Amino acid sequence: MGTISLRSVSKVYGGAREVVALDQVDFDVAEGEFVALLGPSGCGKSTLLNLVAGFETLTDGTLTFDNAPVTRPGPDRGVVFQEASLLPWLSVWENVVFGPKVQKLARSDYEPRAREILRVVGLEAFHEALPVQLSGGMRQRVGIARALVMEPRALLMDEPFGALDAQTRLSMQALLLDVWQTLKTTVLFVTHDIDEAILLADRICVMTARPGRITRTIPITLNRPRSIDDLTSAEFNRFKAMIMAEMRGGHH
Amino acid sequence: MTDATIGSRTRRPEVSILGQIVRSRLGKAILALLLPLGVLVLWQASGTNGAVAGGALPTPDRVWKAWLVWAFGKPGPMTLSPYVGSWADAIYFSAGRVAKGFGLAVLVGVPLGIMIGWSRLAASVVDPTIQWLRPVPITAWLPISIAIFGISDFGAVFLITIGAFYPIVINTTQGARDVDKNWIRAALMMGASQWDVLRRVVLPAALPSIFTGLRIGLGIGWTAVIVSEMVAVKSGLGYVLWDAYYVGRMDIVIADMVSIGLFGFLSDWAIVRLEHWVLKWRRLQNFNQ
Ligand SMILES: Nc1ncnc2c1ncn2[C@@H]1O[C@H](COP(=O)(O)OP(=O)(O)O)[C@@H](O)[C@H]1O
Ligand SMILES: [Mg+2]
Repeated sequence: MGTISLRSVSKVYGGAREVVALDQVDFDVAEGEFVALLGPSGCGKSTLLNLVAGFETLTDGTLTFDNAPVTRPGPDRGVVFQEASLLPWLSVWENVVFGPKVQKLARSDYEPRAREILRVVGLEAFHEALPVQLSGGMRQRVGIARALVMEPRALLMDEPFGALDAQTRLSMQALLLDVWQTLKTTVLFVTHDIDEAILLADRICVMTARPGRITRTIPITLNRPRSIDDLTSAEFNRFKAMIMAEMRGGHH
Repeated sequence: MTDATIGSRTRRPEVSILGQIVRSRLGKAILALLLPLGVLVLWQASGTNGAVAGGALPTPDRVWKAWLVWAFGKPGPMTLSPYVGSWADAIYFSAGRVAKGFGLAVLVGVPLGIMIGWSRLAASVVDPTIQWLRPVPITAWLPISIAIFGISDFGAVFLITIGAFYPIVINTTQGARDVDKNWIRAALMMGASQWDVLRRVVLPAALPSIFTGLRIGLGIGWTAVIVSEMVAVKSGLGYVLWDAYYVGRMDIVIADMVSIGLFGFLSDWAIVRLEHWVLKWRRLQNFNQ
């Protein structure tokens, strides 16, 4: 449940000038695994995630989710966007129950779950607020809640904390660690922040641009459960030094 | 909202007395009335024996008296003038036609605009025709309208619909095209069908543009009703306007013009109120960013 598999996947964007965003990429995420895609901007991280989400179609290769080819977006793969992308005319509550509602699930089924998730992300007092009335961090909590309420088999997160200030980012990372350590769903997490990737992931896939490829996979063997205190541990810094050397080397 | 903007809001520099008047509600109302009152006074002062410009125009007091008779007069058995107590009827006919024509334009224009903005196929099929027909002014549709509908109520409604349709469909299309791609992706990711996306994402996202189209369309609707009543129907403010001119009743002509302005303004105000209420999220957004 929640396995992602890419075999020689290529993605070429058409237009005046063709862009090879992904070139013959092989990539797997196992059930319950937390994988971070790390790389400079423009290397194809979002493209890979959007293919898995079903937002874009591949040019070549095969892409399966739980052994079925991905053809369109769906609630089995919850996506968390960088800018949250909440529907601004809906309240926090309406945003969170949007998915179950359009899927015509029974109210008695999803309402208790939605309330519980909003409590977990710390927004139980903000059900009626509109997205514009929330801070960036709170908006992203709603973005996470609306993905989780669908009980997806995988969470796809595209630089979800990239637009937040450092302190808010830390609290969001702590929240995500807590949530994931209880749910254990598969997570594909895109970031360009090395610290974030080490702190959260079981495995980091380093990407390079032109053409977009995964050049290196690094297992992160820091003990679970983790917390933001790990950011200063000696072992953490050992991983960080290694990855920085890796990324510097990748540019030659 | 950052602290800096809060600061600038509260630490506003001392404002002059004039500035305070401009900001207060009563002050605004007084300033708004200055210009029309000034014109009225000049107009009245330039008249002799209730006539201006060598008798071509009446003075405001005569217009006012004519309107009082037009609005509240009780026609007796011997009354020949049609401008006694018939004002409400004229308003009723014209406003009714605008409402019908405008309503029809909304019913056709909004769904069509959403489709054109959403589907490339619909855009390719319908959009060029709309763009070709759009430069044809509503006055050019008059002969066809009369040929088809005769001198009838529906001829006027037809013209209003045509006139209001273009701004509504074009602004709706624009709004539906400019929807944030990630809102649509988010909805699809949550299991929304195409219909859900149209109804729950594209339509609400396009509402600010749609309201722009509604306001322009309604304005054109009032133009169209006057034009068509002058030519193709025998009732309403447009008919009275032309008829009164023919019999030399310029006082009624001016009272009629003021009535058109007033009801055009009121219907626009009603749409603005509706927009205010429907787009609360949008107002908060503009305030916070
Ligand atoms: N819709 C698109 N059309 C054309 N080129 C695109 C499109 N999306 C992304 N690209 C190009 O593909 C490459 C990879 O982009 P992206 O996946 O967004 O990278 P990242 O998320 O790592 O910053 C970039 O060169 C980008 O300009
Ligand atoms: Mg990206």
